[in-house]
Amino acid sequence: MRALQSPASVHDVLVLDRTELAPGVVLLGFHAPQLAAVTQPGQFVMAVPPGGERAAVALGIYEAQGDRASVMFFVCGPRTREFAGLREGDRFSVSGPLGNGFTLDGAKNVAIVAGGVGIASVLLPAQALVRSHVRTRLFYGARTAELLVDRERFEREGCEVICATDDGSFGHRGFITQALAATEDKPDLILACGPSPMLRATAFVAGELGVAAQLSLEETFACGVGGCWGCVVPLDRNSAQAPGFPGQDEGGSEVVYARICKEGPVFWAHELRW
Amino acid sequence: MVTDVDLSVRIGSLELAYPTLMGSGCYGSGEEFAPFIDLSKIGGVVLKSVTRAPRLGNPTPRLVQTPAGMLNAIGLQNPGIDWYLEHDVAKFASRPCAVIGSVAGFSVDDYAYVAERLAARDEIHALELNISCPNVAAEGETFACDPRLTARVVKTVRATTDKTLIVKLSPNVTDIAGIAREAESAGADALAVINTVRGMAIDVNAWKPRLGNVTGGLSGPAIRPVAVLAVYEVARAVRIPIVGQGGIETASDALEFLLAGASAISIGTGNFTDPRIPVRIVEELHAYLAARGVRSLREIVGKANVGFANPYQYEGDEG
Ligand SMILES: Cc1cc2nc3c(=O)[nH]c(=O)nc-3n(C[C@H](O)[C@H](O)[C@H](O)COP(=O)(O)O)c2cc1C
Ligand code: FES
Repeated sequence: MRALQSPASVHDVLVLDRTELAPGVVLLGFHAPQLAAVTQPGQFVMAVPPGGERAAVALGIYEAQGDRASVMFFVCGPRTREFAGLREGDRFSVSGPLGNGFTLDGAKNVAIVAGGVGIASVLLPAQALVRSHVRTRLFYGARTAELLVDRERFEREGCEVICATDDGSFGHRGFITQALAATEDKPDLILACGPSPMLRATAFVAGELGVAAQLSLEETFACGVGGCWGCVVPLDRNSAQAPGFPGQDEGGSEVVYARICKEGPVFWAHELRW
Repeated sequence: MVTDVDLSVRIGSLELAYPTLMGSGCYGSGEEFAPFIDLSKIGGVVLKSVTRAPRLGNPTPRLVQTPAGMLNAIGLQNPGIDWYLEHDVAKFASRPCAVIGSVAGFSVDDYAYVAERLAARDEIHALELNISCPNVAAEGETFACDPRLTARVVKTVRATTDKTLIVKLSPNVTDIAGIAREAESAGADALAVINTVRGMAIDVNAWKPRLGNVTGGLSGPAIRPVAVLAVYEVARAVRIPIVGQGGIETASDALEFLLAGASAISIGTGNFTDPRIPVRIVEELHAYLAARGVRSLREIVGKANVGFANPYQYEGDEG
């Protein structure tokens, strides 16, 4: 969402650490000083699977500090399995940082909503907010307590953390967006990353509360850099994020298809026409 | 061992410093990939296909990863030729490689209208006619599936420009060589072989097709053997150069196409695997030829295709 994208490039990186945070959830830290220096909260990389035969995969940048950056992902297919197989000392390559991340300017009281491994895109904005002394709460939902990975990390960083699990094994039982809707301390900005139903629910709750929300969308990418128009989402045609040309959808309503990888992945909830 | 290997090729009147084009629809206008690769080290970029009227494209999802490849159904999303000429084309002047416009349409008249306007611009060095898009309702691909329509559209467009005209063929036909011959007689300078192979994937949990458009075009290594055969057959049928494509990710893949009879190659989906692939291919082709004492890439074109006539021989070149 920031008008200026940081300078991206290809980085050959060395794996520094690999941690399985929960069954199937892997955190991969790597040596990438240049990448870490220019990454903005909410940006991602296209990571080339080390086997060299599969398409690159988009991964949110979890941490970016000093010489080290990291990505966190759920192992759900052949490509993430390849990354999960990496060990300290292995090499792979990433292109990035890519996309337009969160806009944090002016906010005083921010609610971050994360579902599952959506947590992977919200540590950087949380750190940036806390650093500027903004009240920052994390509303964090997952299926089970075990899948609420790295929860304490956010507490250590200075966030208030509110949790919900589907089975009630930790925090509220039910959806995290219900906890958001019930809050008595109304935020002035909501940031969200997670599965699509959670994002839609967040957009709904934000509308009810009358609070602006920025959603980080996920979609299958091919190029990841705006070259193929494979990852589009319909947007209000007057959005500042809309790419050049408008059009009409099948129902005849005016929309603009924006590329999630290029104009996004973060969009204002009220501008999405999905 | 030789060190001064000539990798340049000629497609019609278009001179390419390197034999590598970037596939239409996969590479934006080149700018998108500039942070990751030196564009002066590729032969050229084939721009996203443009149509007469603006097109919003297909509903989402538009992409599905499949074994050794992917399905896409973008549906020719583009701003239409008027907007394109006004807002986009001027920016292409700064590319340090060849810039090839791609034209799509739904009638012979459409193709001629767009081609004439696009070719009139100095920023556009050559044209590719996409008569083979599998992702638009009915009409899109029928041009490349019908020899008479192919002949008509190529002839009509030929009359609008002297710039190099590449005609992009579909593999979704029974006799690609026959279509190729029609395109050649109608005045094509070169042929792009192949566009994507029609395909589909189904979500077995949702009981629904995975693509918003239901069907899509398969690309990537999965289609490489299909594409190599198509090049082989077309090369035996025509004397104009062929731009081989379909799943090229390494120099060895590229060599298969060159040896089958392609004069140049194009990389689309490979750029999604690693954006450095095109430069790596050029370096490896250079090393391959140098190690064999071959001074020019042109010499190996069609060497695995018995009875094939190397197009460069007709231009008085060595090889
Ligand atoms: C996402 C995507 C979009 C494409 N769009 C176009 C297009 O607009 N026009 C066109 O002529 N070919 C288009 N193609 C086909 C490619 O240019 C290329 O011919 C084909 O994918 C086979 O090569 P590859 O396996 O190297 O990708 C597209 C392919 C992909 C994967
Ligand atoms: S994935 Fe290619 S434009 Fe977004």
